[in-house]
Amino acid sequence: MNRQNDVLIRCHGVTKQYRKGNNLVTPLESLDLDVPRGDFLALMGPSGSGKTTLLNLLSGIDQPTSGSIEMDGVKVHALNRRELAAWRAHHVGYIFQLYHLVPVLTAFENVELPLLLDDMPRRERQERVEAALSLVGLSDRMHHFPRELSGGQEQRVAIARALVADPPLLVADEPTGDLDRQAADAILGLLHELANGQGKTIVMVTHDPKAAEAAARLLHLEKGRLLEAVS
Amino acid sequence: MKLSAGMHLVPLAFKQLVRHRIRTLLTVAGIAAGMFLFTLVESMQHAVSGATEIRASDQTLVVYRENRYCPSTSRLPIYYEDEIRRIPGVREVIPIQITVNNCGASLDVITFRGVPPEQLARYAPEIRIIDGSRKDWEATDDGALIGENLALRRGLKPGDAFEAAGVRVRISGVLSSPNPQDNDVAYVHLPFLQQASRRGLGEVTQFNVRVEEGGDLGAVARAIDERFASAEEPTYTQPEKAFFAQAAQDLIELTGFTRWIGIGAVIAVVGLVANAVLLVVRTRIRENAVLQTLGYPDLAIAWLVMLEGLLLGLAGGIAGAGGAMTFLWLARISFGNEGQMLSLSPDPVLFAAGLGLALALGAFAALYPAWIAVRRPIVESLRT
Repeated sequence: MNRQNDVLIRCHGVTKQYRKGNNLVTPLESLDLDVPRGDFLALMGPSGSGKTTLLNLLSGIDQPTSGSIEMDGVKVHALNRRELAAWRAHHVGYIFQLYHLVPVLTAFENVELPLLLDDMPRRERQERVEAALSLVGLSDRMHHFPRELSGGQEQRVAIARALVADPPLLVADEPTGDLDRQAADAILGLLHELANGQGKTIVMVTHDPKAAEAAARLLHLEKGRLLEAVS
Repeated sequence: MKLSAGMHLVPLAFKQLVRHRIRTLLTVAGIAAGMFLFTLVESMQHAVSGATEIRASDQTLVVYRENRYCPSTSRLPIYYEDEIRRIPGVREVIPIQITVNNCGASLDVITFRGVPPEQLARYAPEIRIIDGSRKDWEATDDGALIGENLALRRGLKPGDAFEAAGVRVRISGVLSSPNPQDNDVAYVHLPFLQQASRRGLGEVTQFNVRVEEGGDLGAVARAIDERFASAEEPTYTQPEKAFFAQAAQDLIELTGFTRWIGIGAVIAVVGLVANAVLLVVRTRIRENAVLQTLGYPDLAIAWLVMLEGLLLGLAGGIAGAGGAMTFLWLARISFGNEGQMLSLSPDPVLFAAGLGLALALGAFAALYPAWIAVRRPIVESLRT
């Protein structure tokens, strides 16, 4: 397979603008980026540099003002709201800094959420949820509620939730930002394993240089532009 | 979104409601109170419809003294019975004297119907004796067959004695009839009631007439009134339900007014559910955005919000409409006016209607909150 065919995400001339009061804000401008399949990419940059905006565009929860984003040949920038939702369900797993688990649901039920809208037999759903929780090392906590878990364990549940539909792309917005060093290292180790062992493509936004070290590639963003790429 | 997928979200919606127990309980209590009121009002409307809407299958006429509207002033000679029986189209006639303890509108009217005991079974074969004995009644001058609603309301049983309107009777049996009026009255011997109420033996209040199967109620009524047009006591004959509508006009007008209470209750329920669901949506903006990030389409988010409205409606509907049915079953409420009785009975159809309306109101009230839940951009909601 040549490099051209091995690219999972291709962004070309991506610009994002929005109005804030009377001002026109441009968090991203004419950005070009290719992300190969199986890559573990870290995005760093100061606040307001456009990292999270780029992550939101890659995950399909926001649309570019201009430019194109293609993933596996799908023109994500051209999808409508309904098509984007269906695309997200099967192609992207989103990991939030603050986990965002539903507090009234157990770990199992939280991980099951992305599968509920699929026409999937209950047994298969159960097997996939158990496999995802096993992968993040929480088989013994699947019936615990978020309030009964540590921060690191909550983030593992959130990762299992992002993984359960088996999407090719995982996006993580400061996944270790709310964790202590030990828990953060464990999460980074898990992400590394997902990229290397499971072949997932991971794009991670972080402020933490140590977290960035875990990635295979590091990109810096400043004022909406890609400044450098370090392998 | 498939139906099966939509059903998968029911447990999630239920758990979200349980998350705020007190708020949910208060909302359900409010809905239940509204639906309780609504169902009671509908029971009254239903009872009025049942008592006044004339159907093709109706076969009963009431012969009353012309220009009289109260049982105490309607007096007809008992010998009219034979004359009426000879009129073509008449199948059966029964003379009835009516004595009531209260001629006005009341919640506890005792109505005595004095009838020839040997004629009651022939005139109204649909009456069943559910406790006591018809033979005992026929053999006892001061015996009474009382309707089941009256028995329950007053806590009476065979062997008991009770007195009302100056008439003291002993209960021989308790009857049940598909005709709601029968279930609220006390049947006694005609001569006994004529004497006990100091009416002459030769006079009755009215005649009830059953016409032949498929007979023309109007034609028979006209024939009866023409027969006595020049008599000293002229008659006015009309179908039983029209007679009820005329005699109990005050009661019907009051009942009609209660519809506004029902409408008020419905509006209150809509406001209550909308407020509760809107609060829920506003406190879960980010959570809904997370679900959207996971791939939930707008329809699923809206459905999740609607489900909460539906579940609130379901719980409130079961409690309210069910409570109203239980209340009617226990209280056996009957309104009386001019000797005519309007019984409020628990009816599964009314329960289903109350529950259905509560669900519809829950869904309707959740429409706006559902729209609020999906209209914001995901990125904006995640920042809140």
